[in-house]
Amino acid sequence: MSFATVFRDDFKNTRRSYVVLGVIATLTGFVSLITYSVAEFHHDAFRALFDVSFFFFLVFPLILVPLTYLTVAGDRERGSIKHTLGLPNSRAEYVLGKYVSRTAVALGAVLASVLAAILIGLGMYDGSVDVVRFATFAAITGLFVASMTAIFVACSTLTSRRSRAMFGVIGLYFLLGPFWLGFLPVVSLQSVVTTVADLLGTTLSDTTRGYITLASPTTAYLSGLEPVYDGVIGSGDYPRVTANYAIEGSRELYQENWFNYATMTAWGVLALAASYAKFRVAELG
Amino acid sequence: MMTAIQTDALTKRFGEDVLAVDGLDLEVREGEVFGFLGPNGAGKSTTINMILGFLQPTSGSVSVLGMDVTRESLAIRQRIGLLPEGYEPYENLTGREHVESAIHAKGADDDADELLERVGLDPDDARRAASEYSTGMAKRMSLAVALVGEPELIILDEPSTGLDPDGVALLRRIIQEETERGAAIFFCSHILEEVEKVCDRVGILNQGALVALDTIDNLRSELQTGATVSAQLDAVPDGLDVASVDGVRAASVTDRTVDIEVSAAAAKMDALRYLDDRATVEDVRIDDASLEALFDEYTGTRDATAANDATGGDDGAGGDATVDPPAAADGGESA
Repeated sequence: MSFATVFRDDFKNTRRSYVVLGVIATLTGFVSLITYSVAEFHHDAFRALFDVSFFFFLVFPLILVPLTYLTVAGDRERGSIKHTLGLPNSRAEYVLGKYVSRTAVALGAVLASVLAAILIGLGMYDGSVDVVRFATFAAITGLFVASMTAIFVACSTLTSRRSRAMFGVIGLYFLLGPFWLGFLPVVSLQSVVTTVADLLGTTLSDTTRGYITLASPTTAYLSGLEPVYDGVIGSGDYPRVTANYAIEGSRELYQENWFNYATMTAWGVLALAASYAKFRVAELG
Repeated sequence: MMTAIQTDALTKRFGEDVLAVDGLDLEVREGEVFGFLGPNGAGKSTTINMILGFLQPTSGSVSVLGMDVTRESLAIRQRIGLLPEGYEPYENLTGREHVESAIHAKGADDDADELLERVGLDPDDARRAASEYSTGMAKRMSLAVALVGEPELIILDEPSTGLDPDGVALLRRIIQEETERGAAIFFCSHILEEVEKVCDRVGILNQGALVALDTIDNLRSELQTGATVSAQLDAVPDGLDVASVDGVRAASVTDRTVDIEVSAAAAKMDALRYLDDRATVEDVRIDDASLEALFDEYTGTRDATAANDATGGDDGAGGDATVDPPAAADGGESA
């Protein structure tokens, strides 16, 4: 009952704000643009998802920031939390209701953007639109979005100031995304790991590096999209897709798709659990 | 009789240096309107936050309706109503939706529209986003939320702030209706006139410690601030000695007007009878010592005590000062 109250109130409050319109419009706009642009080079609509996935990995978490960083910190700073927790709502129901509400909005944005991509695929591409591949993409992206939303909401739960929440969420984005994947050649996780290993006088095996690389929800997301390209990898039709997903030699545990999904799930669950453990005894005065 | 709120040696520290609430012993009885007063920074909000379970006491305990706030917080919030101070409602929810939220959370069968009508929020306003509300409208909405589920205890934190005179009168009427129903009211306000009008007893908090706890009349008697009686006579008789009446502290005559300072409420009538026996009383005006004067007496004394404590290096006497009135010598100032 109380979870439903918190969820319903937050969902209504959020969906009536311009933030939601912004998130859905921005995401749908970019995904449509990418899908439209890729049509010039490929005849299968699902090939656009390869480029869209990098947009989801790199930009969508930033679009999630305004949707999530004030989830709890905003309520604490404005004092609105006194309305909700002055009623018989437990702190667990409060955090969970807020999280599910924001995730529902984010998933709605994902769904809208994928539907837009399908429609553009039907109109612009020569080949057929494989709805199963799009649905698979939407499901895996949904898991990624739920995981990142959990991490950002957890960050918001740990602080009572909007400025701290903002810096925390953006910092987590850079840590788990560009830094982890190594977008910047020097400032990257691999550079740090190599330096630490050198200082310790040891070297890391490729397997260990593989586990470290795919331990982030963002990298796990990209790796976990492999089923979207089932039957395409190694066929020679799409070399860039093959280059990203083909595995030479025996498959390690971290290269299993379920491992990637477990990684995303674990990040979301642990982030929420850890933040709740602190919020449960937090001073709300 | 079950107590609505009971605190035992309730203490809250923030860090090493800030002692926000110092050994507070307080009892709010079932069905009474209790005024909780104190200057800014006295520890009122901290106390309320501990009562609500938003803050954990450093030591001591709080029970609400016989339940421990740390262990039975949800059950307590099911049975109380809260009008919090200084909070922003959810900006995109309407006033009606805020009330519905409370009804839903409590599993109550109240009618949101009836509650909003009761607090004087226009039906059209009730369907507007709360972000468009004035302070007074938001306060009325919060009052409606606090009334959901016929709570046994209603905590009102600065309920009059932002209300127009009609709103204040309505608030007073609602408080009366709720107490007639049997609810206890914990009324925290800095508008002393309001507290004086609605509260059965008051507690005055200063620098984290309770410096007074009683009915306003008893506090007046303890401080001997009493009242001033001004009587206009047809003629002032010779040998008038009103000061000889028990309870009269001082008297003076200006033209045909006799000004009498009494230290106890009962002395007012005794002094008037004395005058009536000796002259024709044409007009009477009685000014009771205001709660504001009492408040100044208690909080001012506490300041001095705290300063003495600081120089003496002993800050462990918070509990001793809990309900001791200031020294009688201080009462002289108010006369």
